[in-house]
Amino acid sequence: MDFFLGGLTRGLGLLVNLDPEVYGIAWLSLRVSLSAVILAALAAVPLGLVIGQKEFVGKRFLVVLFNTLLALPTVVVGLVVYGLLSYHGPLGGLGLLYTPGAMVVAQAVLAFPLITALVIAAVITLDNRVGPTALTLGATPLQAAWAVLKEARFAVLAALAAGFGRVITEVGAAIMVGGNIRHYTRTFTTAIALETSKGEFAQGMALGFFLLVVALAVNLASHQLQARWK
Amino acid sequence: MSQALFSLRGVVKRFEQREALNLERLDLEAGVITVVEGPNGAGKTTLLSLLALISPPDRGRLFFDGHELPRSGSQLTAWRRQITLVAQQAYLFETSVDKNVAYGLRLRGMDRATREERVAQALEQVGLAGFGPRRARRLSGGEMQRVALARALVLRPRALLLDEPFANLDPASAQVFERVLGELPGQGCAVVLVSHALEQAHRLAQRVVYLREGRLVPEDGHRPGA
Ligand SMILES: Nc1ncnc2c1ncn2[C@@H]1O[C@H](COP(=O)(O)OP(=O)(O)OP(=O)(O)O)[C@@H](O)[C@H]1O
Ligand SMILES: [Mg+2]
Repeated sequence: MDFFLGGLTRGLGLLVNLDPEVYGIAWLSLRVSLSAVILAALAAVPLGLVIGQKEFVGKRFLVVLFNTLLALPTVVVGLVVYGLLSYHGPLGGLGLLYTPGAMVVAQAVLAFPLITALVIAAVITLDNRVGPTALTLGATPLQAAWAVLKEARFAVLAALAAGFGRVITEVGAAIMVGGNIRHYTRTFTTAIALETSKGEFAQGMALGFFLLVVALAVNLASHQLQARWK
Repeated sequence: MSQALFSLRGVVKRFEQREALNLERLDLEAGVITVVEGPNGAGKTTLLSLLALISPPDRGRLFFDGHELPRSGSQLTAWRRQITLVAQQAYLFETSVDKNVAYGLRLRGMDRATREERVAQALEQVGLAGFGPRRARRLSGGEMQRVALARALVLRPRALLLDEPFANLDPASAQVFERVLGELPGQGCAVVLVSHALEQAHRLAQRVVYLREGRLVPEDGHRPGA
């Protein structure tokens, strides 16, 4: 039990003592994961909207495909992105490997199918009169799509929150393409993995606790947004 | 007779090979209330969706104000903005009554002051003055229907299409609807009304069109070709 209690008190200590290294880790984790979610959402939200709304051949297959991609292990995504970004890889010229940018890319790839699948589900379950109603009131097709997104806003924000949860907690991809470099690409999860491997369980617990606090803050902020967006 | 606002020529609409609508020739005039009657499944709602330009015909030509309309494409929005539809079970957006009624005006880029004035006026017209701040989807069925009517009236459309507007309405509200709709022809609006509430409909109607199995039944009561 010491192990948990000690971790908890040390976690609180890290929070209140403003340990610069830990705050650096927190800030990087937050930045990388939020950027990844935004990047993924830019593609996933419109795509989910189109797939959810339109009737076309192959729609079911696409839905099944995106649901299958949810099961993609993070290390596999890490491996693929590593391959793409490595020195001899097709995108090696960008020099992104072992930078926070690489982690953003890998996490965006991870979040993309999840957000797409959840947006598809949100749009499919939404009342199908929304689009036509907007059109009869004079909306352009784009404005009608926006109306659909607005009516599904709670589910869409939940999709983004789920995407954020998936990427801020994953460790496999971040470690492979980020390299867990101290003061540069060390995130919560890569730091926890390192502390644990060093036998520093309490430090790992402390970081885990801090991670939860950050995730809570992000979810509270998105909840505030939902409450105000009426 | 004046030039028709809507002209349909050889218009066919199918759902999975089944013909839901097949109209050789139908003209609808401005300043006239036309009531469309027919049994369930006759194609009345299908006709209104077609006239609202939200469901393109599979075949045939559709003219609005003398212009032949394309089946789809971005130019349709400009035409659609002159027409509006109050659906059989109208969908209200998950927001306030005010914002629902203002939606179409915002799309048309109307400034806020004029918008608020017109919204208040339209709510008053349907007997919902003071309902503006309420959540639209929490209202009763009849109140929602009146919001949907206000949301359409506020646009001052050249053609107003209504699908079963009297369903869900108590007698007092039905009377309000009747009075409001009765004023529209004088403003040059073409009203197309689908209704099973024959008493009210016939009081309002300047013309009655019968549909059966997607086809027009001539007004003298003979079936086409019979
Ligand atoms: N989206 C659709 N997909 C398949 N069939 C449809 C669709 N919409 C309408 N239909 C069919 O077209 C026919 C005409 O339907 P429509 O809704 O126009 O009837 P209606 O005259 O409005 O009937 P009601 O009085 O019951 O409202 C019906 O047989 C209906 O089943
Ligand atoms: Mg109908």
